[in-house]
Amino acid sequence: MSIFRNHKTSADRSATDRSRHKKKIRDAIKEGIHDIVSDESIIGQDGKKRIKIPVRGIKEYRFVYGNNEKNKSAGSAPGKNIRKGQKIGSGKKKEKDGDGKAGNKEGEEIYEVEITLEELSYYLFDNLNLPELEKKKFKDMVGDKIKRKGYRSKGIRPRLSKKETLKNKIRRKKATAYTGSLDRNKDERFPFHKNDLKYRHIDVKPKENSNAVIFFVMDTSGSMTKEKKFMARSFFFLLYHFLRHKYENVEIVFISHTISAKEVSENDFFKRASSGGTLLSSGIEKCLDISKKRYHPDAWNIYTFHCSDGDNWPEDNAKSIDLSHTLKSICQLYCYIQIVPETDRIAWTEGGMATVYSELEDAKFRIVNLESPDDIWPQFKKIFGGKQ
Amino acid sequence: MSNWNLDDLSEWDDKICNLAEKYGLDWHKINYEVCDYYEMIGHMSYHGVPSHYNHWSYGKSFERTHQLYNAGVEGLPYELIINSDPSIAYLMKENPFYLQILIMAHCVGHSDFFKNNRAFKNTRPDIIVSRFRNAKKRIQGYIENPNIGIDYVETFLDALHTVRFQTERNNIRRLSKKEIEQKYVNIINNDKTEKYKNFDIDKDLLEPDYDLLGFLIEHGTHFKDWQIDILNIVRDESHYFMPQIKTKIMNEGWACFWHYKLLNELNLPQSCHIPFLKSHNQVVRPHLGKINPYHLGFFLFKKLEKDLGIDECFFIREIHEDESFIRCYLDLDACRDLNLFTYSTKKTGITIDDVSDEESWISVRDGLIKNIGLNSIPRVFVSDISTSGDLILEHDHDGRDLELDYAEEVVRKIQTIWPKDVKFFTIIEEEPWEI
Repeated sequence: MSIFRNHKTSADRSATDRSRHKKKIRDAIKEGIHDIVSDESIIGQDGKKRIKIPVRGIKEYRFVYGNNEKNKSAGSAPGKNIRKGQKIGSGKKKEKDGDGKAGNKEGEEIYEVEITLEELSYYLFDNLNLPELEKKKFKDMVGDKIKRKGYRSKGIRPRLSKKETLKNKIRRKKATAYTGSLDRNKDERFPFHKNDLKYRHIDVKPKENSNAVIFFVMDTSGSMTKEKKFMARSFFFLLYHFLRHKYENVEIVFISHTISAKEVSENDFFKRASSGGTLLSSGIEKCLDISKKRYHPDAWNIYTFHCSDGDNWPEDNAKSIDLSHTLKSICQLYCYIQIVPETDRIAWTEGGMATVYSELEDAKFRIVNLESPDDIWPQFKKIFGGKQ
Repeated sequence: MSNWNLDDLSEWDDKICNLAEKYGLDWHKINYEVCDYYEMIGHMSYHGVPSHYNHWSYGKSFERTHQLYNAGVEGLPYELIINSDPSIAYLMKENPFYLQILIMAHCVGHSDFFKNNRAFKNTRPDIIVSRFRNAKKRIQGYIENPNIGIDYVETFLDALHTVRFQTERNNIRRLSKKEIEQKYVNIINNDKTEKYKNFDIDKDLLEPDYDLLGFLIEHGTHFKDWQIDILNIVRDESHYFMPQIKTKIMNEGWACFWHYKLLNELNLPQSCHIPFLKSHNQVVRPHLGKINPYHLGFFLFKKLEKDLGIDECFFIREIHEDESFIRCYLDLDACRDLNLFTYSTKKTGITIDDVSDEESWISVRDGLIKNIGLNSIPRVFVSDISTSGDLILEHDHDGRDLELDYAEEVVRKIQTIWPKDVKFFTIIEEEPWEI
C-alpha cells in the first residue's frame, strides 16, 4: 500500500556545504598555523615531508548547560549494583578526550589535517610579499626558462619518450588484436612502428631570473644560549621556506662567527657548541667576501640575516656599521635579528647592537627584536608586509 | 542490491499494513525511497528533508557521519522518516531483507505517531516539503544575488543558528504588539490592587519575550527584507522540528513497540526471525550510564500495554509529550527495573547523586525530565530594550549554570546582527553574571 521507488540519484546534495565547511577548516588552519611554526619537529624538514597538524573542528555554538555539580544527568545501569555517592568517572578524563557531558555539550572534534611543508608555506606566506623595491630589481634580470610541454611525434633522439612510445605500441597492438588481424594467443613479434615514436616537447620562455642566496649569519659566542639559538633557528626556518616559496632557486650560506667567521654546514650551524667572544664585523666581512666570489649582486638576489644577542665588543661597532653599509648596498634585504629573552634583559643595558644599528634602518635594513618564541611570527610578518 | 527487490518489499509492506490497520494504527501514506549509503548520509545531514537550504554545518554533519561510517564506529540508523504527508522514508540498499521489513514496520509506527500526536497538530505535514523547497530556493537566490552573496548569508545564518531554538516552544500564535498592548490596557483598567499604577504602557517591550527569533523579526527594524525572510525560515524550521525533539522517547518507543508487535505476528521466515530479534535487541538495548530513548520508550509502552491495555496506549500516544509521559508513567517500579540514577561532575570526579530507591526515585525521575527534549536547551529571553536600543537578554536560570565560553560565543554572534549593544545576564555559582 505504500509506494516504493528507487531513489533518483540527484547530484551529491551536500557537496556545496562540504566545500564551504572545508574552506572554514582551511581558514582555521591559516589562523592556527602560527602556533606550530615554532614547533621543533617540523624545523629542518625538507619540503616533501608530510606533517600532521591538529585542527580544531568548527564549532556550532549555542546556549548549553555547563558541566558542573548543579547540572545532573540521568542514566541507566541495568543489572549493575549502584549506590549514592559512588564515583563512576574521574571527570578529568572526559575533559581530556574532549567529550563533554553526555548529550549536553558537543565534544570537541579534532580534525587531523595532513599537509606538506610546501602547503604549509602556502598558508603561511600567501599573504606576505617581498618588499616592493626588490621586485623592480629582479624584473630587470631575464633568463630563459625551459618547461616541458606535452609530446610531439617529431623531435630529436635524446628527447624520445620511451614510456609514451611504448604506450602507443601497446595501444596499437590491442587495436590490431581487436580487429582480428593479430592472434592474441600466438606469441608473434610486434615491432615498433615509426608512428609510435613520441618525443618530449619543450617550451622556452623568457623568465624573470629568480635566483636568491641567503646568508644566514649567526653569532655563536658564549652568550648565545640554547634557547636563543632555538629562536634563531625557528626564524631562519621560516625565512628559508618563505624565500623558497617565492624564488625558484634558493641557495643558503651558513656563516657562524665568534671573533672570526667561518662558512659551515647546516648541521654545524645549528648544533655547534658556543664559546668565545663576539666580533659582528667578522660575520659581515665574510658575507661580502663570499658574495664577491660566488654570488655577484647583478645575478643574485642577496638576503642577509644576521642573528645575535646584541652583545658586541664596543671597539668593533664602528667597523660593523661601516661594513654593514657596504653589505646593505648589495642586498635586497639585510636584516639584523637581535635575540634577547626577557629573562636576559638585565645582562646589558643599552639595547645592544640594535641601538647601534638604528642609524642604518630603512626599508632595506631591518632590525628585529625577538624576546620570546611568540614574537617570531609577528616580527616575521612585520618585515614581509603582513597586515599586523 | 541484496537478496531482495522492490516487489519483495511491496509484498511484505502489504502484510504489515493489513495487520497494522487491524490494530487500528492510522498513518500517512508512506513513500519509500531506496538509496545507497552515501545518499542516506546525504539525507541524514539535512534531517531527511528532501530539499533544504545550504549551510556549511550540514556539510560538517555529513563529513562526520561519513567518517564514522567508514571507521565502522557507527552503523547508520535503521530508518529515516520525516513528518510529512505522505511520509517520506529512506531504505538503504545495503540493508538485508529482514532489516527492511523491520524498518517498514517501524516507519508505520512513526507515521502513526506523527499523524496522531497532539504536538504535531500545527506542523502542516501536507505542505512541509514544498515549504522547505521554497525556503531553499529563496536562500539560494540571496546567495546568488550580487548585492548579498554567500558570505553575508552564511554569517547571518551562523548567528541565527546559535539561537535557533530560542523561540516559542509550544507553537502558540505570537501576539502582535497591538494585542499585547491591549492586554495591558485591560489589565490596567481592571486593576484594583494598584500594582500597575506606574506601568509605562508606551514602553517598547511590555513583557519579557521568550521568542527571541520572533522578537528579532518584529523589532529588528534595521534588518533588510532578505534577513527578515531568513529569520522566518529558521524560526519556521524550529517550530517544525520542536515536536520531534519533545517526543523523541515516545515516538521511538511507539515505533519500536509496533515493529516488535507486528513482526512477531507476521510469520517471518525462519531465516529472518532470528536476525530480526537480534537487530531489535540491539536497538532497544540500554546504554550504560546514558538514556537510550528507544529503550526507555519501548520499555514504558510494553509496561503500559500490560498494565492498562492497548487502547490506553493509543490514547497516551495521542495526548502526551515526553515530559508528561515520563511524569505520569515512570513509577518507582519502572525506575527500579531500568535502574535509573542521576549523576554530576564534582570536583572529585563524576559521582552518582541519586538512585532509584523509595526515598529518592522522584528526584531521579525529575532529573531525567530536566534532560529530555527541549528541557536540555537553556531558555533565554529578551528582558528589555534600553532607551538607546541595547538588547538585554536574560537566561531563565533553573538551577543549572550555563557553559560560559559557549554563552560568550553566542552573545558575540548575536552582536553581529544587532546594531546596538547586546547584554546578557545569567547566574553562575549563585552570583549574577553579565556578558
